[in-house]
Amino acid sequence: MTTAEAPALLEDTKLGPRAGGLYRRQNIFTGLGLGILLGFVGWVLSHQFLQGSNWGTDMVVTVTMVGWVLGFNIGMGSLNAPIRWLLGHDQSYDDELYAAGVEQGKARYWKFCTDHKVVGTQYLVLVMLLFGVGGTLAMMMRTQLITPHSSFLSANTYNAIVSVHGMVMIIATIIMVSGPFANFIMPIMIGAKDMAFPRLNALSFWLIASAIPPMIATFFLGGVDAGWTTYAPLSVQAPAAMDAFSMTMITFVLSVTIAGVNTIVTVFTMRAKGMSLTRLPIFTWGTVVGSALSIYAMPALLLGFTAMITDRVTGTSFYVAAVGGTGWLWENIFWIFGHPEVYIILIPPVAAMLEVASTFARKPIFGYKVIIAGFAAISVLSLMVWAHHMFTTGWAPDLAGPFMLTTELISIPTGIIFLCIIGTLWKGRIWTRLPMYFVYLFLWNFIIGGITGIYLSDVPADQYFHGDMFVTAHFHYTLLGGAMIAATAALCYWFPKITGKMLNERIGKVAFWIIAISIQITYFGQFWEGFQGMPRRVAYYDPIFLRANQMTSVGGYLLMAGWLVFLYAMIHSIRHGKVAPANPWHAKSLEWKVPTPVPLVNFLVDPVVTSDPYGYGEPDPEVAAGQPGIGDPEQELVPTLSSDHPTAGGES
Amino acid sequence: MSSEHESFEQEAKDIEEAVFSGKPFFSRPAGKIFIIWLVMTAVGVLIGIYAPHHLLTTLHSSAGSDVWATMVFFTVLAAPVAALVYGIAFYSLIAWRHRGNQEEPPEDGPPLRGNGPASILWLVTSTVLVVVLLVWGLSVWSAQQVSHPNTLQVNVTGQQWLWTFSYPGTGVESRSLVLPVNRPVEFNVTSVDVTHGFWPAALGVQVDANPNTTTVIRATPNSLGTFTVRCSQLCGLYHSFMYAPGSVVTSTQFSAWLQSEGATPSSADQVARLASS
Repeated sequence: MTTAEAPALLEDTKLGPRAGGLYRRQNIFTGLGLGILLGFVGWVLSHQFLQGSNWGTDMVVTVTMVGWVLGFNIGMGSLNAPIRWLLGHDQSYDDELYAAGVEQGKARYWKFCTDHKVVGTQYLVLVMLLFGVGGTLAMMMRTQLITPHSSFLSANTYNAIVSVHGMVMIIATIIMVSGPFANFIMPIMIGAKDMAFPRLNALSFWLIASAIPPMIATFFLGGVDAGWTTYAPLSVQAPAAMDAFSMTMITFVLSVTIAGVNTIVTVFTMRAKGMSLTRLPIFTWGTVVGSALSIYAMPALLLGFTAMITDRVTGTSFYVAAVGGTGWLWENIFWIFGHPEVYIILIPPVAAMLEVASTFARKPIFGYKVIIAGFAAISVLSLMVWAHHMFTTGWAPDLAGPFMLTTELISIPTGIIFLCIIGTLWKGRIWTRLPMYFVYLFLWNFIIGGITGIYLSDVPADQYFHGDMFVTAHFHYTLLGGAMIAATAALCYWFPKITGKMLNERIGKVAFWIIAISIQITYFGQFWEGFQGMPRRVAYYDPIFLRANQMTSVGGYLLMAGWLVFLYAMIHSIRHGKVAPANPWHAKSLEWKVPTPVPLVNFLVDPVVTSDPYGYGEPDPEVAAGQPGIGDPEQELVPTLSSDHPTAGGES
Repeated sequence: MSSEHESFEQEAKDIEEAVFSGKPFFSRPAGKIFIIWLVMTAVGVLIGIYAPHHLLTTLHSSAGSDVWATMVFFTVLAAPVAALVYGIAFYSLIAWRHRGNQEEPPEDGPPLRGNGPASILWLVTSTVLVVVLLVWGLSVWSAQQVSHPNTLQVNVTGQQWLWTFSYPGTGVESRSLVLPVNRPVEFNVTSVDVTHGFWPAALGVQVDANPNTTTVIRATPNSLGTFTVRCSQLCGLYHSFMYAPGSVVTSTQFSAWLQSEGATPSSADQVARLASS
C-alpha cells in the first residue's frame, strides 16, 4: 500500500486571470446580500399588493422566504453555469477548476464550490451546527421540565421549541451521514474523481444552508405550536411562523432529493475499473439505499407542505375538516414521508458503522450480500408501514392488522443486520480504538430502541403508549442512541482522512463514557415517564411524573456535556493533533489509499479494483493494479481530467 | 485461486470447530457465551415479569390488563434475542480483544465471510418470533373490537383545552368522566376545533378526537378507582392543561352521580338498570 505524498498538482495550477468568471466575485456574502435583497423586495411587493387579502401576513412571509431562498442561492452562484449555457457559452476548463476551489485556499469553504470534499466538509460543519441548535433547544426543554410548573419558558415558547427541536434534529440526522461522508468519502471509495454532478452537489448544500434561517425565523414569527409533525388543522391555524417552517421544509426536500439523485448516479456511473457492484464497500450500498428512499419519500413531503402553504395562503382547505378537507390527509402524507425517513436516517450510518466493525475486528464483513438484501427488504417494507403512526387516530381501524404485520416484518431484516454485525465481531481481533467504542454502544442502544419499537408496533400496547413519553424515549434510543452513535463511529473513523489529524482518543474516550452513560439515564427517565402515562410535548405536568423528569433532565445535561467534550476533542485534535498518516487504521478500501489531505482529483492515477475491500486474513490480491500516487502525475493527470473529470465536460 | 480459497475456507471451518467443540463444553467459547446468554436471558425475563407492573400506571380495564400482559410477554420473548446479541458482544470484548500496543492493528482475524446455516437459523427464529407477536397482537386486538350488548354510550368532545363527557339519554354533560364498573363502554369521540387525543391511560385505550368526525373506542372498566384523562395530541397553547378527572364507580354510585348531575330520575334509572343487568 503506497501512502506516498502526492504532489498537490492542481493546487499549484495557474489559472487564467478571468477563470471562473462571475464565480470570482461570489461568496457567502453575495449570497447573504442578494438573499436579503430579494427577500426584502418580496416583502415590499407582497406588503404592497397582498396585505389586504384574507391571508395577508401568510402571503408576505411566504413571498419573503421564497425571495430569500432564491436570492441566496443565485447570489452564491448556483445559476451561473446554467445561465451561461443558456446564453450559448459554456464553462471553460479553467472556469470549472476555479469552481472546484483551485487558488482559493480556505475561502473555498465559503463559496459555491463543486469539489465533493469541500461540500462534504461544509455538510459536516452544518450538521454540527444543527446539532448545536437542536441540543440547545433540548436543554431549554429539559430545564423547563425539571419542575412540574416551571416559569422558565412560556407555554407558547415551549411549543415553538418542541417543534423546531424536532425538525432541526430530523434535518440534521437525515444529512449527518449522507451529507458529510457520502460526499467526502463515498466517491473516493468507489474510485471516482468527484460526484457525478458537482454543481448539483454544491447546490444541494447551499439549498439546505439557506433553509436554516427561515427555521430560526419561526421563533420571531409567533412560533410553530404544532410540533414537528405539524398536524392539521392546528398547523393551518398556526401563526405566520408556519409559513417559514413550510418554506424550510420545501427547500430541504429539494436539497435532499437532488443529493439523492446525485449519489445514485455517482455510484452507478462513476465507479473505477473493476469496482463491480459486489465489490462496492457496504457504506456505498448504504448511501444508495438511503438515497433511493429519499427519492421516494421526499416528494410526499414536498406535496404535503405545498398543500399546507396553499391551505394557509389561498384557503384551499385540503386539511381543514370544517370546509371539506381532513387532517387525516396530512397525517397520511406526512407519514408516507415520515417512516421511510427513519430508514433514510438509519441505513447510511449503520452501513458506515459496518465498515468500522470490519476494520476494527480485522475481519471481512459477515454476510455482505445478506446485508444488502436486508437493506433492500427494510427499504421496501418501510414504504408500507406508515400508518402505524396512525393506529390511534381513528383512521381506518380495519387497517390496524395489515400495518401491524408490515411493521413487525421489518424486525426480520433489521435482525439480520444485527446478525451480520455480531458475525463480523465473531472471533475477530477486536482492536478497541475509539470508533469501535461507538460500535458497541450502538449495539447496546439499538437493541433497546428496537425492542421498545416492537411494543409500539402492537396495536393494543400502542393504545396505551402512543403520544406519550415512551414513544419519545423509543425513537431517541434508535435515532440518537442508534443512528447518531453509528454516525459518530463513522466520524471517528474518517476524521483522520477528512481533517488530516488523528482524533485525540484520550479526550474522545472521556466524551464516550459521558455520552454512553447519560443516554441510558436520559432515556430510561423518559421510558419511566411513558410507563406512568405522561403525554409528550407538555410544558407542565402532573407532579407524579416529577422523579422521572428530574432523572431525564440530569441525564440530558450530562449528555450535552458529553457532546461538548467530544466537540472539544475534535477541535483540540484539529489544532494540536498528530498528523494523520494516509491509512491510520490499515484498512483496505480506496479512501485510505489516497494521500491525506486528499488531492483535488483524488486519484492521480486511475485505480483498478481487483477485489472487495474486506480481504482481512486473506491473501492480498493486489487491490489496486495502478497504485494511486505512482507514475508521473504531470503526465497522467491532465489528460485524465479533461476526458473523465465530470466538471470538465459541461454536464448541464 | 480456487485451491487457495478452499484452504481459507478450511481454516475458517477449523476456527468454527475450535469455538464449538472441545471439552468440557463450558470451557469452549460457545459454552461461555451460552452461560452469559443464560444469565442475561434470566435477567431480561425477570425484568419482563416484574418491571411493567411496577412502572405502569394503575390500570382499571381489561384493555389495560392487555397492555400489561403484552409488555410482559414481549419482554420475555425479546430477552433471549437481546441476551444473545449482548452476550456475544460482551464476550468478544473480553475474549477476542486485541491487547498490547493499541497504536498498531492486530493481525488479521479469520476470514469468515458468512455462515449459511447460522443466517438461516437466525432468519427462521426471527420469523417465528414475529409470527408469534403478530398472532398475539391480532387476537388481543380483535377481542377488544367485539361490541357487547348493554354497552354504555359516552360522547366525548375535545376542545381547546378541555374535555366534555355526555351521557346520551340522560342529558348529563360533565367535565369529569364517571364510569360504572364491569360495564362495556363505547366512547364516541369528536372535537370542535383541532385534533386532540382522548387518552384515559388507566383504561388502556386511546383515540384521536378529530373535528367533524366521530371515532369510536371501547373499553370495559374492571376495577374501582380514579384516573386522569389526558390529551395525547399537541393541540396548541395549553395542551399541558388539557386533562379531566375520571373514576370508575359501582353502578349504584353511577346512577346517583347521574342524578346529582341533573339527569331525570327515570333516565338515570334506565341507565342504572342497564348497568346492573
